[in-house]
Amino acid sequence: MKRTLLKASVLAMMLGGLLGWSQAYGQSDPSGKKPVTSTYAITNATVFANASSSGSKATVLIKDGVIKAIGSNISLPAEAQQIKGDSLFIYPGFIDGASRAGITRPEDPKRPDNFVSSNPPDEIAGITPWRNALDQFSIQSSQVDELRKAGFTLAQILPEGGMIAGKSAIVVLGDENSTNLLKENTGLAASLQGSRGMYPGTAVGVMAKFRDVYKNTELTQDRIAKFTSSTGVSRPEMNATYLGMSDVVDGKVPVIFTVGNDLEVRRAISLQQELGFKLVLTGLEEYDAVIDLIKSTRTPVLIKLEVPDDKAIKAQKEEVSEDVKAQYERVKEAYDRAIAQAGKLEKAGVPFAFTTLGVKVSEVSKAMTNMMEAGLSKEAALAALTTNAAAILGIERIAGTLDNGKMANMVISTGPIFEEDSQIKHVIVDGKIYDYEVSKKKNGKDKGEAVDPSGNWNYTSETPAGSSGGNFTIEKSEGDFSGEITYDDPQGGGETSSSLQDIEVSGNKLSFRFGVNAGGMALDVKVSGDINGDTMNGNMVIADFGSFTITANRTPSQIAKK
Amino acid sequence: MKRLNQTFLIFLMAMMPLFAMAQIDGEFIKPRSGKFLLQNATVHTITNGVMENASVLIEGGKILQVGTSVSADGAEVIDCKGMVIYPGMIDGGTTLGLVEVSSVAETVDYAEIGNVTPNMQALTTVNPNSEAIPVTRVSGVTTVMAVPQGGLFPGTAALINLVGYTPDQMYAGAKAVVMNFPNSGRRGRWDRRSDEEIKKETEKALKDANDLWQKAKTYHELKAKGAELEYYPEMEQLAKVISGELPLMVEVNAAKDIQNAIKWMEDKDVKFFFSGVSEGWRVADELAEAGISVITGPVQALPTRQSDRYDTPYANAGKMSKAGVKVAIRTNEAENVRNLPFHAAYAAAYGMGKEEAWKAVTINAAEILGVADQLGSIEEGKIANLIVATEDPFETRAQIMHVFINGYRIPLSNRHIRLYQEFLERSPDLKAN
Amino acid sequence: MKKINYILTALLGLSMQFAFAQTPKGSVLIKNATVLTVTNGTLENTDVLVQDGLIKRIAPDISAPKGVETIDATGKYVMPGIIDAHSHVALDVVNEATNPIVAEVRMKDVVNPYEIGIYRALAGGVTISHAMHGSANVIGGQNATLKHRWGSTDPADIIMQDAPRTIKFALGENPTRVHGRGNGIQPRSRMGVEAILRNGFSEALQYKKAWESFEATKNEKGSTAVAPQYNERLQTLVDILDGKIIIHCHSYRADEIYMLINVARDFGIKKLVFQHTNEGFKVAPEIAEYTMGASVFADWWAYKFEVYYSTAFNAAILQKNGALTSINSDSAELIRHLYHEAGKTQRYGGLTDDEALAMITINPAKQLGIDDKVGSLEEGKQADIAIFEGHPLSTYAVPQMTFVDGVKYFDITKDKDDQRQRISATETVEPIYLGHENHRCMQDTEHLFETANALFHTQH
Repeated sequence: MKRTLLKASVLAMMLGGLLGWSQAYGQSDPSGKKPVTSTYAITNATVFANASSSGSKATVLIKDGVIKAIGSNISLPAEAQQIKGDSLFIYPGFIDGASRAGITRPEDPKRPDNFVSSNPPDEIAGITPWRNALDQFSIQSSQVDELRKAGFTLAQILPEGGMIAGKSAIVVLGDENSTNLLKENTGLAASLQGSRGMYPGTAVGVMAKFRDVYKNTELTQDRIAKFTSSTGVSRPEMNATYLGMSDVVDGKVPVIFTVGNDLEVRRAISLQQELGFKLVLTGLEEYDAVIDLIKSTRTPVLIKLEVPDDKAIKAQKEEVSEDVKAQYERVKEAYDRAIAQAGKLEKAGVPFAFTTLGVKVSEVSKAMTNMMEAGLSKEAALAALTTNAAAILGIERIAGTLDNGKMANMVISTGPIFEEDSQIKHVIVDGKIYDYEVSKKKNGKDKGEAVDPSGNWNYTSETPAGSSGGNFTIEKSEGDFSGEITYDDPQGGGETSSSLQDIEVSGNKLSFRFGVNAGGMALDVKVSGDINGDTMNGNMVIADFGSFTITANRTPSQIAKK
Repeated sequence: MKRLNQTFLIFLMAMMPLFAMAQIDGEFIKPRSGKFLLQNATVHTITNGVMENASVLIEGGKILQVGTSVSADGAEVIDCKGMVIYPGMIDGGTTLGLVEVSSVAETVDYAEIGNVTPNMQALTTVNPNSEAIPVTRVSGVTTVMAVPQGGLFPGTAALINLVGYTPDQMYAGAKAVVMNFPNSGRRGRWDRRSDEEIKKETEKALKDANDLWQKAKTYHELKAKGAELEYYPEMEQLAKVISGELPLMVEVNAAKDIQNAIKWMEDKDVKFFFSGVSEGWRVADELAEAGISVITGPVQALPTRQSDRYDTPYANAGKMSKAGVKVAIRTNEAENVRNLPFHAAYAAAYGMGKEEAWKAVTINAAEILGVADQLGSIEEGKIANLIVATEDPFETRAQIMHVFINGYRIPLSNRHIRLYQEFLERSPDLKAN
Repeated sequence: MKKINYILTALLGLSMQFAFAQTPKGSVLIKNATVLTVTNGTLENTDVLVQDGLIKRIAPDISAPKGVETIDATGKYVMPGIIDAHSHVALDVVNEATNPIVAEVRMKDVVNPYEIGIYRALAGGVTISHAMHGSANVIGGQNATLKHRWGSTDPADIIMQDAPRTIKFALGENPTRVHGRGNGIQPRSRMGVEAILRNGFSEALQYKKAWESFEATKNEKGSTAVAPQYNERLQTLVDILDGKIIIHCHSYRADEIYMLINVARDFGIKKLVFQHTNEGFKVAPEIAEYTMGASVFADWWAYKFEVYYSTAFNAAILQKNGALTSINSDSAELIRHLYHEAGKTQRYGGLTDDEALAMITINPAKQLGIDDKVGSLEEGKQADIAIFEGHPLSTYAVPQMTFVDGVKYFDITKDKDDQRQRISATETVEPIYLGHENHRCMQDTEHLFETANALFHTQH
């Protein structure tokens, strides 16, 4: 813990010195970026102190990151910088129940010489409970800013990794010079994701391995207890996996299980029932069938803040045969059911929160609107983003509402939140104000300008041969792109690479091709996708084999970017 | 003592034949030709109704006479009382003889490299000694279409009778150039191409096909004018379709593709038929209206779509047939072509009716392949491909008693039967362990 | 204390099931049918009364109790629900192909009740399927016996909770290809397969002993004993040795079948069923003497080298040598017409109707250890029933209705279009699958075959 913090702060200091204003310069700041005061008053705004508040005119006074007063008749100290809030609406800052914003996937550890895929070392097999999200987190990432821009002020960050990825932490989405740490070791991130080409490779293996790790952690603890209390006992073997798991086994922290659909929800809950750990579910997309189960087991859930895209619904044509019409109807039903789930969860009385894991943050607001149109109340929606999230994360004492003494985290919008034409103008995180441009028209997407795809990307793709991945690099010189991609050699024997051809960018679309030699057969692979910030989602088409999804993340290389 | 000697002598004499066969035990029965009279059976002629207590006389590979009063006239008489006689079944699409063990690449000969290989001849690679051939023919399937697989024009299929030592002896007089019509379906659960990608690829494939067709036409026209062209075996073979020498066998399955194929064929003045046609029931009327014949199957197959009723593959042949399409049935199998009668039975049970189902594995197949003057029914003058069974050969409980192909009386033996004979009662048995 | 409980349950070989809802049970009176009881012959013009999921009475002229629906089955055939002893329907994962022994994995963990294959099986009269781990490993995972209660969203509802534990083994080409040739570890040959088995069971014996000696001494005063490492893989093998789990072994060649019989003899294992068993006919007397028999294909052969020397008479030879024999599908397609597959034993070996029907009912029930509950039409048994138009062994037979626990899940007259339970909200056009992958024995092992072509090969 100490070491982690130290590392993070040293990094922050270094970057701070390089890029922004910093305490290192003492009182002067030749960059001119240092704020004049840390006391602010937003005057005469419409304040929604909590999710069920109907809003009332008030002035909010904050100082040094804490809410000092809220009221219509408060006296403002001289150092308070005033912000006219007459036309503004203030809400408690949003909390992301589980996020990977700012997280960089660590390099895969090198395989030992005596590696056997049937019995790989834990670290390679994705069993890394000792890892810490903080080690993978960078506040400088554009993903963090994107999340903050959407109104999020706090996030529980999960590490990247395999079936047991590591410890999560709660951070504020604040100052670049701070560690931003609110609470570390808040949970252990897990999933049913198998490891590529080794044990455990599939969900069924992962579940068995999870039981194994859990039960042996219990036994290790028993042995340690006996070793410490009596003599003549052999020294127990303590390895990083069992030590990393012990807080879960002791019930100190929950397992934060990423699950997609109802069957995965059931799988995680059945493991929980069998072994007895604390459980938080995250990433739920299809859960209509398990609302009762979630309720009866009182499992805290973090719902994926996303709705299915409606392209399929919109593509439905009018003049079609009866059987096609019937099928359209079913797709429509499925869509309607999907967007109505959150509302059903509310009606069932389950206090849920949201996660942005795997979510396009730019579409969060649209997702909220859709869910509310489909039956989710505004109160429940706000509660999910604020109080419920705070309760699930165990930080309701300091976050979730606008009350005296709570952290100064808030969202300030130009109209009632989530309503059409309402836009987020300021986000206050930990007392620091972030201003965002408010455009005249909403959703004014600028399609014209091409994004810059250059950088180092690591990608994964889902193929019939399981998930595969590697890196690709794109460099720009005099308007032309060049690059290289690495991938698993289809002929075995580790990774190999090819150079990229036909790299093209139009708007936010990137496409390129490369050739692969598979047992004497030359395969042409085409990749195309949409770039959104530092992520790319798209397809990889392998001639004659089909198309597979590919996702890529740009490895933050701060120096190049900012 | 004397008596003992005598006994010993008798014993020795009894042993003599065994000594004589010290090296070779048992007798191999070969197919044999001759003059045979199949007497007093119920004869299902397919084209001329059912004849009770009728007989069939065969000689020289041909059916000489069918009727209720046929005299033996020196023929070997086979009593078929209480039995049924049908024409040998024809499977309109198989890889029989082109593959021995499908997971052993070295034994797979039905696909070549390249997208345009119409010059690849299935008949060349038919293995007359494939173990699967005797396994197939004892089920009553006497004739099959051996079809190359693979690219857009994977090769030329050939109809073979399941008897003979060389492909030419087996050849049953019909060939067809195979075309795999560009398909917009998915190739399996791992095929995750987007709809647009599939559409694009399909369009491109169709354009390629058009270009090729145009080339073949040009090739044919120039040749017809007496031009001396460079050696171009692919075009040489495609030109045979243009000229009408060979029909085109268009493999097409998804409903939309069938519609596209109907349209594509509209302006092409050639002989052709469709094969596969697994979603034919969706566009049966369009097929009927266009007058296109189909060789469909397998019948025992999964529906092509998750939302389809469970019985759509069973009912497909019947629905097309009812709409007025001429339908033949295939298994698309290799080692289990023997199940053709059961595929036909399923089609019969799910709407086609027995009579039509029988036609689908006999005369319809022969007509579609252009050999109806030779095969597909029990008529005087046709090739003697006949089966004799204890009852309706579509039933699993029926026993096939005699099989004649090309007039040859086929031994009812094969690896499966020999293993049965060898292992039903082991010697030494368990106690000898 | 809780902790100790978990270990104890694991040691006892119990898997803890948390509360699952009561599965539906129905009542129905089927009138005037030809009843194929399988175990008690054929009864003409007979009624079958089902109450609360159980067969109450089989007799002529039963009058319907109040509120019980009557079905007129005049001219129809009623048979026990068909049982498929080898299937991979309704599983999200088939192979955990990464280790030659994965006894610890449980297929119950990945049952998917939404799969359309369940309904299609019901439409073929199949009420129970044995959802097996694949054949990539010498010792695969623990299988799930499923009851086809279509429409439930909870996997626990379609798992036959009162069926005994079974486990998948596999010999021959598949495990040697995956591990020996794919991963460069044993087994690469049938010698290696035997070694994996013997090593595994020997280690399991040591494991058992280690725990027993810990349990015996841990409460002694001043005991310094500490618990050994927990290992569910070895624990499962211990459970096999203790007779708590039935082995279902994918096998083809006679030599490997004989090998496993010898291994089983040496380790005192009695509960052993062979699957596929294409060359079982060559060692039929051994199978008959020592095992719970063989579950075979009706006529599959020649799709790979180890089934080249097969015979469709396999089932008949096994049966006539006294081996308990069933016919299975291992296929989402074949499972739809197992009655027809059983019928093939009449062409290939001339079995009687009862013998043929037993191969898809009471015999697989015995091999799955559920013959006291299902597999024949007998009073007191669970009411899993199929009604046919035409004798089920006729190729023209058409299944009409299928009941599980007296509840009707398939009715040909009410078979609506589009039976899918789960539809994607983002699907524009429904995918059309032309290249079927019916056979999933080797599913989830694709990544082990590097060349592209391997993807297209049949790997049963």
